[in-house]
Amino acid sequence: MLKHNILLFLRSIQKNKKTFFINLVGLSTGLACTFLIALWVYDELHVDMFYNDHDRIYQVIEHLQFTDGVTTITETSGPMANLLVQDMPEVEFATATIPPSWFGSHVLTVGEKNLKAVGQLVGKDYFNIFSHELIQGNKNQVLTDPNSIVLSKSLAGNLFGTAENVVGKIIEFEQKRQFQVSGVFEDPPSNSTAQFDFVLSGEASKEESPWNSLHTWNSSGPRVYVLLKEGTDIEQLNAKVETIRKKRNENTIRTATLVPFSKLYLYGTFENGKQVGGRIAYVKLFSIIAILILIIACINFMNLSTARASIRLKEIGVKKTIGAKRSTLIIQFLGESVLMALMALIIAVVLVALFLPQFNTIIGKQLALPYNLNLVTMVFGVALFTGIVAGSYPALYLSGFKAISILKGKLNGSFGELWTRKGLVIVQFALSIVLIVSVLVVYSQIEFVQNQNLGYNKDNIVHFKIEGKIKEQHRTFISEVKKIPGVKNASSTTHSMIGHNWSTSLDWEGMEPNNNINFQIVGVDYDFIETMGMQMANGRGFSKDFGADQEGIIFNETAIKTMGLKDPIGKKVRFYGEKVIIGTIKDFHFKSLHSKVEPLFLAMMPEGVNKIMVSIEKGREKETIEELQRLYQAFNPGFPFEYKFLDEKYQALYEAEQRVSTLSKYFAGLAILISCLGLLGLAIFTAERRRKEISIRKVLGQSAAQVTVMLSSEFAILVLVSILIALPIAYLLINNWLANFAYRIPLHIWYFIGAGLIALLIAVMTVSSQAIRAANRNPVDGLRLE
Amino acid sequence: MLLEIKDLFKWVNSGGNRIFLLNDIELTVNEGDFISIMGPSGSGKTTLLNVIGMLDDFNEGEYNFLHEPVHTLKEKYRANLYKEYIGFVFQSYHLIDELTVYENIETPLLYKKCSSAERKAMVADMLDRFNIVGKKDLFPAQLSGGQQQLVGIARALITNPKLILADEPTGNLNSKQGEEIMNLFKQLNDEGVTIIQVTHSEKNATYGSRIINLLDGRIV
Repeated sequence: MLKHNILLFLRSIQKNKKTFFINLVGLSTGLACTFLIALWVYDELHVDMFYNDHDRIYQVIEHLQFTDGVTTITETSGPMANLLVQDMPEVEFATATIPPSWFGSHVLTVGEKNLKAVGQLVGKDYFNIFSHELIQGNKNQVLTDPNSIVLSKSLAGNLFGTAENVVGKIIEFEQKRQFQVSGVFEDPPSNSTAQFDFVLSGEASKEESPWNSLHTWNSSGPRVYVLLKEGTDIEQLNAKVETIRKKRNENTIRTATLVPFSKLYLYGTFENGKQVGGRIAYVKLFSIIAILILIIACINFMNLSTARASIRLKEIGVKKTIGAKRSTLIIQFLGESVLMALMALIIAVVLVALFLPQFNTIIGKQLALPYNLNLVTMVFGVALFTGIVAGSYPALYLSGFKAISILKGKLNGSFGELWTRKGLVIVQFALSIVLIVSVLVVYSQIEFVQNQNLGYNKDNIVHFKIEGKIKEQHRTFISEVKKIPGVKNASSTTHSMIGHNWSTSLDWEGMEPNNNINFQIVGVDYDFIETMGMQMANGRGFSKDFGADQEGIIFNETAIKTMGLKDPIGKKVRFYGEKVIIGTIKDFHFKSLHSKVEPLFLAMMPEGVNKIMVSIEKGREKETIEELQRLYQAFNPGFPFEYKFLDEKYQALYEAEQRVSTLSKYFAGLAILISCLGLLGLAIFTAERRRKEISIRKVLGQSAAQVTVMLSSEFAILVLVSILIALPIAYLLINNWLANFAYRIPLHIWYFIGAGLIALLIAVMTVSSQAIRAANRNPVDGLRLE
Repeated sequence: MLLEIKDLFKWVNSGGNRIFLLNDIELTVNEGDFISIMGPSGSGKTTLLNVIGMLDDFNEGEYNFLHEPVHTLKEKYRANLYKEYIGFVFQSYHLIDELTVYENIETPLLYKKCSSAERKAMVADMLDRFNIVGKKDLFPAQLSGGQQQLVGIARALITNPKLILADEPTGNLNSKQGEEIMNLFKQLNDEGVTIIQVTHSEKNATYGSRIINLLDGRIV
């Protein structure tokens, strides 16, 4: 029986090759898309979850109560770690860290070998909290000595050529201090938010600015992590933690609290002190896209299977008269569609394997085909489910007919069946249109963001870190840089323009009491405003011509407005001593366009600068950078010259959006492709089924052109209906997404009309080819069939 | 006695009127009979045949098949009954296009839980008997009408039914092919198979032992 069924299946494939391939291609692409997205979602959901005790690891965050709302930062003060461990019995271990994002990369030297590697400063119990496996060394001891360094396996390999027996060896740090290797840990996996090559003990930084801020309550840059004891009630503990800041200072605007560490990755956005989401929005978005694509593919499969099944009504009738039981037929049809789904599954897996590298480039991850039993079962489950759902209609409905009515030809597809099929096509196209609208809008918004006037010149600016010997003589270095032909201007700053995160509140002349405005701080040196191409609104910039400009301070327009100053120039401000406002600068965007411009000021901080910005003439980038590198090496022998273009960094701000936009472009394309495949299949099928009708119409005098229009317009109407359904949904969704941006494009009607037209055009093109073919057949052939 | 029909009525309601498809049918069929049902188009020939074959139901009356009261049986038992004892032959053959001659003949056996060896033997016998061994791997589309009907009959016979119901078996065939098929029916009848056929042709009716004439659903 099984052999018989398989034989029938194969023969009917042979007979209907076209619809079979349409079906298979549609379903396998759909499944492949879904699997790719599932892989990504699975990975996102497991970021930072690989630690043994990830559900007990918490991070201290702080809410800052400003006049205009609550700002939340994930940093706190270093001594918080010791306080938590001593005062809270629920806390098993705590560690204060200067995270890799702040500590950054440093030059490590072994013999002649200089390597730049990213590190972090941590407390002694770091490895007790974060279960990075130690290949060498003991997790309780590797960080007890302030002069210890723990290396990642790959860094050890790069420095010493091997990760074995390196404990005890000496490494020179920044060519001025020596550390002894005390252990080697496995490289952090790619789904870890903390990516670092080495760790140093926090004790090593007691004397060195700015790393000594790890040990003082006056700084809030370090991050503090704790490992809670099992069974801790986090609500009760947080009630205690939230009083810590108040106890130390009655007037503080800070409240510290603990949040689960592994959740911060997906839920990292805070609004007014509440966790409101973050990347989880994208995870949800793509999960929805995956489900939509799967639905579209399933609809195809279902439509074509039912269409094919009603062609096979005769077979059902014959089999019933010669003795087939209903259950036998149910098994046959379900089996066929499950088999089909499994074939599609195999192709889908191959497709996933083929496209995974490209997919990885787009999403910026290193996903691999998993051998994880859960995922494999899930994948099989999805395919099986698809097969059963698609096969259930012919299996359950058609097998229930009486043999005699089928053989008499009384059933030629019921009314309900036709409407189900049309309804499914409408759903399918509505989904595709929603996707097309989204792609159009997302793409335009990203374009808009990238071409937005930021208030400074982001193009052709190169920046790099001040380190090594340049530290002591950066002004000399900069004046040498300015002499290079091709360099327009150069200056230095405490922070790059992008990813800036340093702020304070201030007192100023005429301030109302209890006014807590959060100001962003940009510490600069001479020529910064000129190098960046920023515009002064009032007053003047910092200039050597005015002698001791250390006392000058420059606010942006938003700051002046927020402070309520009428005539700001000459007013006095308290910030590290007394400062005088010498000018106001036009607003510029120093964060992503997701957020509004915040109050900000520029102050001279020649001692604190750590980045050099060089503006280069357009078209001379290559030779100028080579020249820069030569100069850098002359000042800093042995230090690798690592520079970045500012616009690249700017684009990185919108990395998530870029990825969403690229991905949704592909997925929308695939969705419409799959939908069209389905439509094509249905068109072939309809033309076949209505062959007799078409013949009769032609015999009665209808022209081929009229028949073509009649057949095509039937499908066009379906697409029109789906446009009507899809557009309001698309509007709501995309409006919601745009609300994430403080600066956004207007939602033009053309996005919607355009998407509708695209869908309609593609659909009509797909269908009319079949309609033309059907219309031009000889009517006699169609009538002879009876 | 193979089957017995008493006071059988079948009707449809159309508007306010009741239209009788079968009207007060009385019929007894003995084993070994060869009956031809005749009558003009629309007189209820095929309907009667389908009722006898239990593919169609009726509204009133009694129908006993091998002393089983068909009118009281549930659908499932009825199906088992006709699967066991009745073979169907259709005017338009109704072979399964995707299956070869061999497979078409084999299909009914698949539903009867025969072992594979048994099936092979039975199908081979049947091919031999009908002289179509050389055609066993061809598909229906590659055969002439007469050959297709031959396969149709072979398929009906493979389960050894007591009764063959044939609905205008020669309707789609030319006269020579028709004659061959009728000769075959005659031969089968001589071997003991009961046959009821519906036909338009007086000539074909003469092959049978008894003729039932229908007019407007009534035996005349």
